[in-house]
Amino acid sequence: MIRYDCFEWLAPQMTNQIVVTSLSGQRVEWGHLSKREADLNLGSMGNALAVGIGLALALPHRKVFVFESDGSVLLSLFNLPTLANLNPPNMAVFVFDNQAYSGTRISYPSATAGKTDLAAIARGSGIEHAVTVTELDDFKKEATDALNQSGLRFVVCKIEETVGHRKITRSNVDLLETKYRFVRYLERTEGKPIFQGRG
Amino acid sequence: MEQKLAEGLVDALHAAGVNFITYLPETRLSEIIPLLQSDPSFQMVPVGSEAEGVSIAAGAALGGKVVASYMEGTGVYVSCYNILTVGVRYGVPMLLLVSYVGSFADRRNSFLYVQRGTKLIPQLEALDVQYQVIRNGEGLERKVKDAVRMMNSLKQPVALLFTEDFTI
Repeated sequence: MIRYDCFEWLAPQMTNQIVVTSLSGQRVEWGHLSKREADLNLGSMGNALAVGIGLALALPHRKVFVFESDGSVLLSLFNLPTLANLNPPNMAVFVFDNQAYSGTRISYPSATAGKTDLAAIARGSGIEHAVTVTELDDFKKEATDALNQSGLRFVVCKIEETVGHRKITRSNVDLLETKYRFVRYLERTEGKPIFQGRG
Repeated sequence: MEQKLAEGLVDALHAAGVNFITYLPETRLSEIIPLLQSDPSFQMVPVGSEAEGVSIAAGAALGGKVVASYMEGTGVYVSCYNILTVGVRYGVPMLLLVSYVGSFADRRNSFLYVQRGTKLIPQLEALDVQYQVIRNGEGLERKVKDAVRMMNSLKQPVALLFTEDFTI
């Protein structure tokens, strides 16, 4: 399965769902395919899942999608028991697992290239719907269910290690711009001020 | 910490508008936890690491909550990556409620804690996190409100370090 194919299919399906991305090629590819104000590009490893939890708890009426990588989830495995026990029904986590630290440029294998099974860790942490998909059609089914159904989902997407994202022109949009765009969008659509502080 | 002081801190958080708190129980201020849990105006989120406590709080802040993350001083070391990469770099207002273990006025200071105390303020300063040390309940409500105003104005994490009467 190719990550870009997953995103190319998913991007047109999205409406007002929040998307939080971390720092691997998925950030570049999703940012290339989706220009929505509801996309929050964090630009750091090990944070997207937790930030997504916070958003899901703060906005329980909105769906929150989190796009993670194997390296990023391995960096913050303590998120999984916390996520399981909080069990936000409006959250779907998709871990694009290429079994490598691809950004190192030496394709260094991650633990998931060895014996580690992230979906099993998630299930062991208490997340009931934690599955692994290896085919695009299975990804589409999980993503469709995430769009249309309630309930926490943790989907490990086994993908090929690709380098196509390196050919995509990188965005010049700074993280602060992304943050303000996202927050102003939420203020507008939620009808409430978020950033306080008198001017 | 005496019950009255714990109640004062919870009242101060309430008055400052804090409504979302991530927490990892610790040794000095934990009397506030049952009080916070019994007040429905606080959305309480237990975590397994201060690192995720900071990042979850950040997400909630971006979603419109007035957030705090409660931790022991050691938690600042654990979460400094998250404070930097999400709180500082992204510019997210959040109140760090930190028990200042190992500080001069920590009434339970010992060889177990002291190194953690002596390096805490240099750590916060390296992260460019504004902080205040709070020793007792005098003017507590005003001090917490000041901190919340500061974090909202800066759009950065701000820390309150609790010692002395809070460590009894």
